Amino acid sequence: MKITLNGADAQVDSPPLTPLLHVLREELGVLSAKAGCENGGCGACTVLIDGSPRRACLTAAIAADGSEVTTVEGLGTPEALSPVQKAFVHFCAAQCGFCTPGMVIAATAYLDKGGSGSREEITEALAGHVCRCTGYLKIVDAVAAAREGDFDMSVAAESPHTQVRA
Amino acid sequence: MAIQKGHGIASIEYPTGMNQNGDPSQAWIKVKPDGRIDVFSGTTDIGNGSKTIQSQIVADTIGVPYDWITFDNSNTDSSPVCTGTFASRATFVAGKAVLKAAQRVRERILEVAGQEMEISPDDLDLDDGDVFAKDAPTRRMSVGDVAAAATWTYGELITGTGAHLNPYVPIVDSSTGEVDSPPHAAISYAACAADVEVNDETGEVRVLRLIQAYDVGRAINPALLEGQIEGGAMMGLGLGVLEDSYPYYPSVDNRAGDFGSYYAPSSADLPEMVNVIIENPSVDGPYGAKGIGEMANNAQPAAIATAVHDAVGVWVTELPITPERVLAALDAKSGGSGPRREGKHVAYDEEISINAVGTGLAWRAD
Amino acid sequence: MKAVGARLPRYDGVGHATGRTAFVDDIRAHGTLWAKALRSPHDYATITRLDTTAAENMPGVRAVITHADVPLLEYGHLSALGIPADEPLLAKDEVRYKGQPIALVAAETTEQAADAVAAIEVDFAPKTPLFDVRKAFDADVSQPHHWGTVYPHFEESMDRRQIRKGSIEKAFDDADKIISGVYRPAAIEQMPIETQVCLSVPEPDGRFTIYSCTQALYFSMGVVAAHMQIPLNRLKFVGGTVGGGFGGKVDTATETVCTLLAQRSGRPVKWRWTREEEFLCSSTRAPWHMEIIDAVTDDGWILGRKMLTLHDAGAYARFSPYGVTKHSFHHTGAYTIPNLHFDGYVVFTNRVPTTAMRGYGVTSVSFAVESHMSRVAEELGIDPFELRLKNANRIGDTSPNGIAYTDPSTVDVLHAISEATGNELAPGYAAASRQRRAGEWLPDHLLAQISDTEVH
Repeated sequence: MKITLNGADAQVDSPPLTPLLHVLREELGVLSAKAGCENGGCGACTVLIDGSPRRACLTAAIAADGSEVTTVEGLGTPEALSPVQKAFVHFCAAQCGFCTPGMVIAATAYLDKGGSGSREEITEALAGHVCRCTGYLKIVDAVAAAREGDFDMSVAAESPHTQVRA
Repeated sequence: MAIQKGHGIASIEYPTGMNQNGDPSQAWIKVKPDGRIDVFSGTTDIGNGSKTIQSQIVADTIGVPYDWITFDNSNTDSSPVCTGTFASRATFVAGKAVLKAAQRVRERILEVAGQEMEISPDDLDLDDGDVFAKDAPTRRMSVGDVAAAATWTYGELITGTGAHLNPYVPIVDSSTGEVDSPPHAAISYAACAADVEVNDETGEVRVLRLIQAYDVGRAINPALLEGQIEGGAMMGLGLGVLEDSYPYYPSVDNRAGDFGSYYAPSSADLPEMVNVIIENPSVDGPYGAKGIGEMANNAQPAAIATAVHDAVGVWVTELPITPERVLAALDAKSGGSGPRREGKHVAYDEEISINAVGTGLAWRAD
Repeated sequence: MKAVGARLPRYDGVGHATGRTAFVDDIRAHGTLWAKALRSPHDYATITRLDTTAAENMPGVRAVITHADVPLLEYGHLSALGIPADEPLLAKDEVRYKGQPIALVAAETTEQAADAVAAIEVDFAPKTPLFDVRKAFDADVSQPHHWGTVYPHFEESMDRRQIRKGSIEKAFDDADKIISGVYRPAAIEQMPIETQVCLSVPEPDGRFTIYSCTQALYFSMGVVAAHMQIPLNRLKFVGGTVGGGFGGKVDTATETVCTLLAQRSGRPVKWRWTREEEFLCSSTRAPWHMEIIDAVTDDGWILGRKMLTLHDAGAYARFSPYGVTKHSFHHTGAYTIPNLHFDGYVVFTNRVPTTAMRGYGVTSVSFAVESHMSRVAEELGIDPFELRLKNANRIGDTSPNGIAYTDPSTVDVLHAISEATGNELAPGYAAASRQRRAGEWLPDHLLAQISDTEVH
């Protein structure tokens, strides 16, 4: 089997029904997709297959044969972050960071498919992704603002939800 | 069927640092030959932001830009003891350790600079990466040059260690629980107001808004602090209306073994949130900070329970406040149940074993 | 720009957003074996036979360990405080909860490890479990633990944590109303998205490098060193970056067995819990049973509180005595109550041991106290803000264990919430402050509460 992984050709030698998550992590050494449950429940392993978000743990390798697979490594690099990655950093939308790759993929797919960016749509689009740390608010804020793009990355975003009193 | 709205409040307090103390943290810092700063701390970052917070404390305490700091908490060979990241202790207790280490580094930088500049260290100040004479700020020297001098001229490593320990506070009288000094590093305070709507036909409770005020002492990093408040609020919402490891407790049956059958908060449950951060500096904390990470899920359940009562007139005192429990309480209410009154006694719940257990005192009229 | 007080992005934010942050499961060591556990299928049972011979001879199996392979089988979470240990690293004579680990296998693949676990020969004689903390004091109840139904090692061998202050009898005599309620918050899952995981690598110099998801590197290193009876310089813990931790990752659930398997096999060993194991076998937040009886006056003063707490520890103590002590220290909530009578018990049941979780010991009492305050306000017909502001702890008031508060902010946070919700406070309450009680804020029953000692 062959896939296009983050823009480069990759040969897959695992048996055809091997979960794509296992192929990525154990055969191809791409580690951003996380094994949070291996049961489709948490979303931490979500990758783009031909542009659509898919659970890598529930996708057989053969189902991705000939497809373009994009993980969060393929969206941007530390030097050249994608708009969603920039927003996640700027809004402190990651805490422990373990659910973050799946969240970033899901948010990217949502926006790329022309999502309006309304909070209702975003919470719906991310509802299958479990985060135990952030409470989701900063994630929703980040996704809602991701298209604006031009953030000062040396500081974190102001929060419209907070008042500070001395 | 009707959607009923309700409002409730709760007010809480919580200790910073381990209960009864006795939880040390240590740190050490070294200065590279160009003045850049390496911090070695044993404090784990569980998502709370230890790496960022401790780096901020070090930057300001030494007097160098934040981006000069590297923070290494990666292993026990290079980092000293930290009791751990729990008990709301990482910012306060472990933060004090890096603060003390940074103070020593700052002192040593000023001493070496004093030798180079031929000025008493007492007459020098250090800010934004430069050492300068207090009364003649144009006489200055970068920390990079100071570190270079230490390395190449004096054959010295500029370093500093710091440790913080509030000693263990024993209970001095086990019959009363008395202690003779504070059994915590500080106490933080918070209040929460919850707005809910309750469907009185299905029993479903939806949390619409959480307004929360925290006295944090000092917000070392307001953005990360919000992360603790908001993340804690969602966990509190889960405790209040969703989550249960044993749905028919005390039975151990019906446990959930996957995300599909365990009701954890999702983004679809996200209520409106308002965070009010109050800065009432603590006496001992680094820059006046206190810890609030743990308490962040403590206020919501009672505020929600009170709001449910406000909405539909029933108290659900067993968490989570599931539709099943709301409906059972509504049924009991329509059957005429309410607190039982007997003389001056008002019993909201009948199941009281307090008089049958341990040293219980009889209180009933009989 | 000063760093303290600034809204700076996370130190590791870019790593998180680009998937570059390395968690334990992302560490690769050549020749890593995979561990799987034989876990108890029973809530409570005697182990009548345990034979790993067949499993040891299965394909791909490189090491099998049981209780007999652990140099110090029992080391308690609170051993450093002199509290005796009660929990074996691997079950020996009996299992006390469903999911308790009995034996571990390390094999070339997870499938081989699972097959070998299935080949371990083990027999049980089931015993009657106890699940309901309310039955702990009944005669003839099944004993879930060798210490009985309740933890017996509080100071001076007491079976409970006690708080006594003032005279609860007088408070009840003086009260206009005595209001009681029962509060029962549930166990919940820790549910970090990263499950419990460890990779232990044997090094050529005889050390072990232990990649760990622990929240407490040095605590966990001490636990492994104690079980293995080796000095700390044989161990190097690597971690500090955890995929979510809320208390449960202090438990050190995987590190010792991985290291024992690594020692025995001479190979790196990884044990990553499945999500099902994380849900069913990792420690939960404790369920609690709390009864509160408050002596109150018609004008809203709380004269006294009597409280009983039954903390469902599950099958072993872990941090529960600590949790109940912390609970007792905070059982008045944010209020000053002069007469107290508190008894808190750590009750053993045959469920997965509970452990520390966010707000440990106090989450429960915050729910109970604040629900009860709301009920008291309702019963007395007093505004819920006013009831709370009236009784709020103030500078100089003393805590349940006799320590003077120096900077309580209960009044401040209540004022903030009142304002933010558009609530109008009566003038006297709007003007309340944290300052030392005086005048009408210092009624007779609180006179004895005011400490002149400045302690913080």
